[in-house]
Amino acid sequence: MTKKNTKIEKQKPILSVNGLKVHFFTDEGTVKAVEGASFDVLAGRTLGIVGESGCGKSVATRSLLRLVDSPGKIVDGEIIYRGDANKKEINITSLKTSGSDIKSIRGGEISLIFQEPMTSFSPVHTVGNQIIEAIKLHKKLNKDDAKGLTLDWFKRVGMPDPEQRMNQYPWQLSGGQRQRAMIAMALCCDPKIVIADEPTTALDVTTQAQILDLLKELQEENGMSIIFITHDLGVIAEISDDVSVMYLGNIVESASVDEIFHSPKHPYTTGLLNSIPSITNKNRERLPTISGSIPHPHNRPSGCTFRNRCQNPSDDCREGKIEMKLIEVSPGHFVDQCCINCG
Amino acid sequence: MTTKNKKDDSPILEVTNLKKYFPIQKGIFKKIVGNVRAVDGVDFSINKGETVSLVGESGCGKTTTARCIMRALDPTSGEIKFKTKNNEIIDLSKLSKDEVRPYRDDIQMIFQDPFSSLNPRMTLFDIVGEPLLVNGMKAKKEREERVSEIMHQVGLRPEYMMRFPHAFSGGQRQRIGIARALSINPSLIVADEPVSALDVSVQAQVLNLMMDLQDQLNLTYLFVSHDLSVVSQISDRVIVMYVGKIVESGTPKQIFESPKHPYTSALLSSVPKADPRLRQERIVLKGEVANAADPPSGCTFRTRCPNPTDDCRDGNIEMGLIEVSPGHWVDQCCVNCG
Repeated sequence: MTKKNTKIEKQKPILSVNGLKVHFFTDEGTVKAVEGASFDVLAGRTLGIVGESGCGKSVATRSLLRLVDSPGKIVDGEIIYRGDANKKEINITSLKTSGSDIKSIRGGEISLIFQEPMTSFSPVHTVGNQIIEAIKLHKKLNKDDAKGLTLDWFKRVGMPDPEQRMNQYPWQLSGGQRQRAMIAMALCCDPKIVIADEPTTALDVTTQAQILDLLKELQEENGMSIIFITHDLGVIAEISDDVSVMYLGNIVESASVDEIFHSPKHPYTTGLLNSIPSITNKNRERLPTISGSIPHPHNRPSGCTFRNRCQNPSDDCREGKIEMKLIEVSPGHFVDQCCINCG
Repeated sequence: MTTKNKKDDSPILEVTNLKKYFPIQKGIFKKIVGNVRAVDGVDFSINKGETVSLVGESGCGKTTTARCIMRALDPTSGEIKFKTKNNEIIDLSKLSKDEVRPYRDDIQMIFQDPFSSLNPRMTLFDIVGEPLLVNGMKAKKEREERVSEIMHQVGLRPEYMMRFPHAFSGGQRQRIGIARALSINPSLIVADEPVSALDVSVQAQVLNLMMDLQDQLNLTYLFVSHDLSVVSQISDRVIVMYVGKIVESGTPKQIFESPKHPYTSALLSSVPKADPRLRQERIVLKGEVANAADPPSGCTFRTRCPNPTDDCRDGNIEMGLIEVSPGHWVDQCCVNCG
């Protein structure tokens, strides 16, 4: 189920996720939030993970940092991190959730930008102090140097009046400024991978445009990889190099951004793309929709999870006999085997 | 200054110079030290059967405008003329809370968040039937019939009538919200960001439903949204707001294909296009949205305008819409800045 991107030859991905399964053991039953997801993150590139609410995109990426809380548990699969060519590969799934190994990865090697910076910053500490704390944790710097570095990062992320903002509390900043502070905090320890979990969803379009541009600029300067999670296909088209489409805990299609948008193979990807309202659409035209709705997480269909919404499922598929598995249809373009011909 | 109607039928709603100021109070005696000018002189009209959209960024006053029309807020000044079912024209802004009540069944609202706008302890029948009960339909049998009819209309199965909201997905809940709004046959529906909490595939279903219902029931929509692609899909006319004022209005074609105001152009260029081959340079506005408590004098957009004239920079030009082509109105200051 592994996949390689042929565009970058021979280079091992910096992070490989193979057959990851994350289940939540609730009183009502087991919720299979992630059920065999596999994807690779390449150095210096942006992987967009797109899917609707409840598809498991956030849970899958949280498990990269072992941040899935009980009753959630990684039950199978491996997450291989190759941060340093000279060091050994690390299998993140085998680390203890509160050990020193994972703590040095969190924030230091792989960091996270949250969706709502208002709730992810502490309201009783100044933003400056919160970033200084992160720097002191991962770098051997004294307080003054850490402060200098924070100020430096505030300037790099384009914060207006950086000196003044350092001493302010999160609620004194606007939404865009808070997200800039969040980005400064995520990048201040020079991580190799940044996971951006819907970083622009809470922002206005004009602010969103500024933040997307900023992330692209910083990626060019620092060369970090970005895993960008969103439900907005417009944003994905804007920022990603590679795209993985998730549906009910599985990756159903993954390819380069151009392939996904211009020759999608999976009926779910096609359905999503068709249902986007667009400024170029005819006024008051009805949008094509995907029939049915996402099944409840407790009633996952057996076999191909998309079969009850598929327009033309095969007989075998309808009965749930076909296992889900990505196969390569053209170089670098992977589609779930069941749906290759349904799209 | 009112936006012109293309159709000749008279407007169902006519808003003139609507203002809503929120006082800023300070100190122990709650002395009023200033006002947040959330809506600062807005004029527009909506014809029967039309969809008019208010767009703009957070804090531009679009929701406040909608809430003033609903009389969920009391406007500071201005007129809201509404044509009732009996073809009476009333000014909603002048009526007291009690006097407004008889007209409540004519204007209904669809809310943004389908999770917090439905009472978790009420069944679907209670939620959708409550407006009927309040408006005098006492017989339970009659209400059940009406609720089941309306549920069918919005694409929900009437068997689910006795279930609670938690059993439904986001898209279904929004259908419940629509059913509740429609249950007493309103003529005007104010929809405040009705699809922004929904996923894209569900969003398409709800938008289609809203357009279908409009055709069947001859509804009039005032649609509030920050999402320009959604607005272009559903609207007959679009009104762009910035810091409490209308800066441009026209048909979707006029607004989206030949925007005249620099703010509209910047908004449009910020919308990510769902096609990686169309990645383009964006017009990035400098600075942040002006503070509504202390807006710039003259043209409120002058602090962010890419090329303001000298008069504009000094705040000497008053804001006011002028018609640049039939039905296309732009703020006079910025006609040539775009």
